[in-house]
Amino acid sequence: MHHTFDIGGEPHAIWLSRLPEGYRLALAEGGSAAVSLVQTRSGEGRLTVDGSSEPIAYVVEGDAVYIHLGGRSYAVRYVDPLVALAVEADAAGHHIARAPMPGVVVSVKAVVGERVVAGTVVAVIESMKLETAIRAAQDGIVEKIHVRAGESFDRDAALVTLCMEGI
Amino acid sequence: MIGSFPFGVVLVANRGEIAVRIIRTLQKLGLQSAVVYHEVDAQSPAVMSADHAVEISGKSPVSAYLDSDQIIAAALSVGAGAIHPGYGFLSENAAFARAVEEAGLVFVGPSPEAIELMGDKIRARNFVARNGFPVAPSAIEEDDPATFLQRARTIGAPLLVKPSAGGGGKGMRIVRDLAELDDAVTQARSEGQRYFGDGRLYIERFVERPRHIEVQVLGDAFGNVVHLFERECSVQRRFQKIIEETPSPSLSVDLRKTICDTASGIARAAGYKNAGTVEFIYGRGEFYFLEMNTRLQVEHPVTEETTGMDLVEQQLIVSAGHQLAFKQDDVRSRGHAIEVRLYAEAPERGFAPTTGKVLALEYPQGDGVRVDSGISQGQAVTTAFDPMLAKIIVHAPTRSEAIARASQAIEDFVLLGCETNAAFLGRILGDEGFGAGEVHTGYLDEHPGIAMGAVPDEGIQRRLLAAAALLTRPVRDAADAIPALHASLGSWRN
Repeated sequence: MHHTFDIGGEPHAIWLSRLPEGYRLALAEGGSAAVSLVQTRSGEGRLTVDGSSEPIAYVVEGDAVYIHLGGRSYAVRYVDPLVALAVEADAAGHHIARAPMPGVVVSVKAVVGERVVAGTVVAVIESMKLETAIRAAQDGIVEKIHVRAGESFDRDAALVTLCMEGI
Repeated sequence: MIGSFPFGVVLVANRGEIAVRIIRTLQKLGLQSAVVYHEVDAQSPAVMSADHAVEISGKSPVSAYLDSDQIIAAALSVGAGAIHPGYGFLSENAAFARAVEEAGLVFVGPSPEAIELMGDKIRARNFVARNGFPVAPSAIEEDDPATFLQRARTIGAPLLVKPSAGGGGKGMRIVRDLAELDDAVTQARSEGQRYFGDGRLYIERFVERPRHIEVQVLGDAFGNVVHLFERECSVQRRFQKIIEETPSPSLSVDLRKTICDTASGIARAAGYKNAGTVEFIYGRGEFYFLEMNTRLQVEHPVTEETTGMDLVEQQLIVSAGHQLAFKQDDVRSRGHAIEVRLYAEAPERGFAPTTGKVLALEYPQGDGVRVDSGISQGQAVTTAFDPMLAKIIVHAPTRSEAIARASQAIEDFVLLGCETNAAFLGRILGDEGFGAGEVHTGYLDEHPGIAMGAVPDEGIQRRLLAAAALLTRPVRDAADAIPALHASLGSWRN
């Protein structure tokens, strides 16, 4: 099965599988690599990607993985498959994109009446200091935008409603 | 000098890195240290390292640190004989300095009169001009409202129009063509009225692409004043300093001496005692007095690194009523020092403040690397205080070696759990203009690309995804659920 990680608001789908030694990482955007991570002490380890190794420092906190690598710190977020599907349909053919966690709206990309295809970014939110793109789960017409840039919201708040009729 | 202080306990009326830094010197001198703290700082390094810690309260954490009555009572309760205000908070509050003295305690800083003189920007400027030191040509509306615009025109463009009551750049207007002066005055007046409830204005010569040069001075109660050379702090954004260094890469030997002697002269004329900083605007070969800060500066460590002097120790010596133990000729500046300020903010998103929790913390080490930090692992980073987390200070024989050392130190600084400006600091140090010493206070605004940075390239993304996948339990468990043999069989079938 594939997994999704978010780096700076961009989702990356990956597959991880076992090799006789270490693991194989395959990326949806193309390419694969033999990878391994050996812990050297608590919170530190040696990361090897296709034979080249480097020391890293890391902390896992909830679904956020903080990594210091190559002289810089990054935050990578694991997008839980259940949360990624936190888009629900009701009987009337409306799909509502809901907030996976509390946060602040960075920007709204969609306009009411706009026809969008699945995967179109309809809003960008910031939660846990990470920007996340909220995408249309399927093709539709933007019926209602529930939030404005700068507004904060709670988990499960409705962000954008899509109408599936007339598609 | 140890044992000759008229106080045995010194209370630090501050928090964060500066409280830690002051406590370090108190310990070195064999003095006992005390701090006040708001409950949000209960686990902070300053509280942990002080001999005494007294909790204070307030409507907000900041208001607790501004409550002079509680702070003086705390000092008396632990038997402190002196209060060191650090920087910010009450450090330039003359009423506080006076109240400390009235309570029978020593204020580690200048006299209340000196704080008052320099705290009033117009009075300070007039004082400096009257004593024959250079100030930017200017016109003050209050002097004679009827001739204000005429006096401003006489100075000639470019001009800077600012509200008399102003600060932080609000309501300021640059006029490059005198035909635009009337409009600029109308707008600045209305903004001054709106922001400060005071529409009076002040116009001065605007220095294009100005550099910020400041000089560290030290005076004692016997009229001795020395300077500890200059610092250049031109890398700023919204009037906030980001990187400071000494010596300035922009001054000739002669000009350096002139500016430093001017600073000593101003301090001497003011009868200044204790540590202070005289700030100048410098551009096109000319320099003008900007203001004097009557306290220890955030960036004082670069001066300590090049002169080998402990400024907090000198402040305590002077406050104890002793003479400075050295003369101007004894002060030497060796090598080059740079300080970078680590802030909890995202330059890539318009310098928005960031919050989080310090989940992992590892300081850079090595020769010529110093970290002044007030944070600790597990601490929450909130927007309750100034976003500065720590300062990295490096010292090396030359400027280029200092830049390289600072870049390496930033890369070695591990702070996970809260986004910081670390990568931005690295980009400034690697910038060609900075390397050539060609910065000015508007440099970052002129080069917005430095704040933006680049998206991590594919190679880095792949390494991040590899690390994240291997560290995320559900992902690794799913991979481990299918043994390697089967996984490889699966791929043979494809």
